[in-house]
Amino acid sequence: MISKVNECVLFTNLHYKVEDNTWVRVNDDGTVTVGMTDVAQSLAGPVLHAKAKKVGTVRKKGRPIATVESGKWVGPVKSPISGEIVEINENLASQATLLNKSPYNEGWVVKMKPSALEEDLADLLTGEEAVKAYQAKVDADGITCTHIEGTEEY
Amino acid sequence: MTLDLSMNKYADVSMEEKERLFAEVKADERWHHVLYGCYECGICVASCPSARFYDFSPRVIAQAVAREDVDLIYTLMNDSIWDCSQCFSCDRCPRQNSPGQIITVMREVAVKNGLQTAKQALEGYGRIIYKIMSTGSQVSPDMLQPDAFPDWGVHVNEIAENLDIWRKALPPETLHTTETGWTIDDKTIIELYLIWHMTGVMDLIEGIDEGLFMILVDVMEERLEDAGYDVTFD
Repeated sequence: MISKVNECVLFTNLHYKVEDNTWVRVNDDGTVTVGMTDVAQSLAGPVLHAKAKKVGTVRKKGRPIATVESGKWVGPVKSPISGEIVEINENLASQATLLNKSPYNEGWVVKMKPSALEEDLADLLTGEEAVKAYQAKVDADGITCTHIEGTEEY
Repeated sequence: MTLDLSMNKYADVSMEEKERLFAEVKADERWHHVLYGCYECGICVASCPSARFYDFSPRVIAQAVAREDVDLIYTLMNDSIWDCSQCFSCDRCPRQNSPGQIITVMREVAVKNGLQTAKQALEGYGRIIYKIMSTGSQVSPDMLQPDAFPDWGVHVNEIAENLDIWRKALPPETLHTTETGWTIDDKTIIELYLIWHMTGVMDLIEGIDEGLFMILVDVMEERLEDAGYDVTFD
């Protein structure tokens, strides 16, 4: 269920867009939850602000669904799927470091109603395939994940 | 200390491409006011703070462009120009050369042409560019984080943790901000976004950092639409 590559945690049941460092969890109610990976939080450093787009925003995959700022870095969370934002993680407004401490659980970014889920999932990697792709990425880029105090234990 | 001329670090390009890049530098309208002649007095190097800490010399810049040594200029454009702190101390040149301004032009050409080294050099400034372009305020108090500025010493922890209180201790209410340097009014922001739009600055950003471009466009289009402007940056 959980794998580690260079100290970076990966949940093998999630679907990853490796180059954008995002993940997708398919929920029972037909929605999907989207978030940033452990690699992303590690590269960003302690997050200061995370602002998601408004509920109701319709986004094509690859377009930003949130902006994340750390001390010296800013970047988009690019949507790994196309669809409509139906819920945003309100807790991030006051506790942005949830993205660092719990990137796959409490630090989720948005929930979306997908418009072409099967097609979009085909572009994402999951299970051992995702782990292998991440291993290649962290090796190539020389990334070793770091975790701030209070990070969730896996 | 020697200048690294091994071309291994940069994309190798043809002589024609190097000449094209330098021609773009020379075509800049500032060009004829920044380079006259050099008699090697060394005043620019002596006054240059970057020269004290890096393998950097403003005199090398001025002489390379004066000689039109496009090989060396290409190397400098990928390397040395990013060591300059743009303080313009070198403007005290008795011949009125301005290596600092020559570098400004060279940097702009490097950015406009999307050189990989320009992207790398600017990577660490993403949040500063985002701040100045989206808010008009370059440095925000909340940038003072222990991980980003360990050189500020141990008290940076306390400042970062209680930033809101520290800011409220400042007498002018316009400084009671943490995400921007000061309170910025709507009129200023709208004017700023329209300037970015009309001058093509966003095209530069798109060539350098696609992610940054995306989030800036999102912020600007939404705000401009609320103010009654029908403007798109894509």
